[in-house]
Amino acid sequence: MSLPSFKLLRPRNVEDALGFLHRYEKEGVQICAGGTDLLPSMKQRLFSPAYVMDIRGIEELTHIRVVPGLGVELGSLVKLSAIEDSGFIATHYPVLREAVMTVASPILRNMGTLGGNLCLDTRCLWYNQSLQWRKSCGYCIKKDGDLCHVAPGGKVCWAVFSGDSAAALLCLHAEIEIASPKGRRRIPLADLYTNIGDDRMRLGKSEILTRIFLPEASAGYSGVYRKLRLRGSIDYPLAGVAVAIRKKGKIIDDARVAITGVNPAPRLVKDATHALIGREMNEHAAMVVGELAARVAKPLTTSLLTPEYRREMIKVFAKQSASRATPSGPSIRD
Amino acid sequence: MKVPIQVTVNGKTHAHEVEPRVLLVHYLRDVLNLTGTHIGCETSLCGACTVMLDGQAVKSCTVLAAQANGAHITTIEGFAVNGRLHPVQEGFWERHGLQCGYCTPGMIVASAQLLERNPDPTEAEIRMAIEGNLCRCTGYQHIVEAVQYAARRMKGAAAAD
Repeated sequence: MSLPSFKLLRPRNVEDALGFLHRYEKEGVQICAGGTDLLPSMKQRLFSPAYVMDIRGIEELTHIRVVPGLGVELGSLVKLSAIEDSGFIATHYPVLREAVMTVASPILRNMGTLGGNLCLDTRCLWYNQSLQWRKSCGYCIKKDGDLCHVAPGGKVCWAVFSGDSAAALLCLHAEIEIASPKGRRRIPLADLYTNIGDDRMRLGKSEILTRIFLPEASAGYSGVYRKLRLRGSIDYPLAGVAVAIRKKGKIIDDARVAITGVNPAPRLVKDATHALIGREMNEHAAMVVGELAARVAKPLTTSLLTPEYRREMIKVFAKQSASRATPSGPSIRD
Repeated sequence: MKVPIQVTVNGKTHAHEVEPRVLLVHYLRDVLNLTGTHIGCETSLCGACTVMLDGQAVKSCTVLAAQANGAHITTIEGFAVNGRLHPVQEGFWERHGLQCGYCTPGMIVASAQLLERNPDPTEAEIRMAIEGNLCRCTGYQHIVEAVQYAARRMKGAAAAD
């Protein structure tokens, strides 16, 4: 399979990148970070941009920086394998490491970046297919067509957000920095996502995700990430749950639960926090977390696994993870 | 519009002009005639095209040749030194780590990367390191044994130094 023709842009700093985005906005610029998701999609002609902007040469975005008193700043081009290898992240933000370690396979994590994983395209059985396949089905609402095969008659795209790290970062109340021609702004990660399958992010055509911030207040939470996928060694999540919990003695001081792989956006399960704070973790509390997480999950037939199964697995994972994230909770063996 | 690139592959420097859309794996095979790097799924799943790019194992079907400009690349052809097999290659030979051989170059690169980072891996760690490389013949058991063999050899060599 060959790639469509394009012209390559290779900025060395953020300002040059913004300049390119502005200059070639009309013709269309596709940003490429690790390329592990984008290039296969380009082969399938899901993207045929006039320009591909390879941002890997922007050195300033490749660092993990600890800022005492504030937390950690991660450049959007930090490789997933670098997060995996970071002792600091493992010690203080274990839920992020757990999630990152489940992304694809080790070799792809040498290429894949944290920013790329957050900006990952949404996925659907009817979308992530070759041009020939999609053409034979009359295309779909997300690409080249106007009908949805998942929700026939629907006018909304339900393609699913399929990044793993976003769920962990939502649990850590991460913020992101977006660079635009007007300057840089900082927003909660949760505000990046729209929950619309074919328009997934509030990121303008002339903007770039540049940094991810982990607040110091989120350090020290115990964390667990679990995911369901077709092949345990490599696939995207078809249901994913991240849990981060902090305890004082036996009592849960704070708890955060987030899910991914089931909605067009990763979502925090806010009710789970209310349900757990001030309580001890036990079988019943874990079950409640499972129920609450499943209530937020709205999977449809966007993959080879049924929506019922994926929703049930959100429940199971949330329950197991809540127990496992609190060391004194009942131990659940995989 | 073609772009100029210069890469060092297995110690030898090459300069060419390539179309931006040319993938590294196609450049290695079609321009440099290094056909030891195989093309499998072309969608970054199977790992047959794995090569070392500046010391990191990557899937060369998802890297543009233009992105490798200035890089040092090692393909399977660069593993043996003066006709002497790399310990991982030797392990695959001694422990029958291959049948059809299609996945082997990628497997060897991925395994070598593991042993660089973790000279004494457990069986589970070996299996995890090669989870992005698919083999349809061996059932992986002999590959794992080959990597264990290589780990022992490399440790022995290190002790002898």
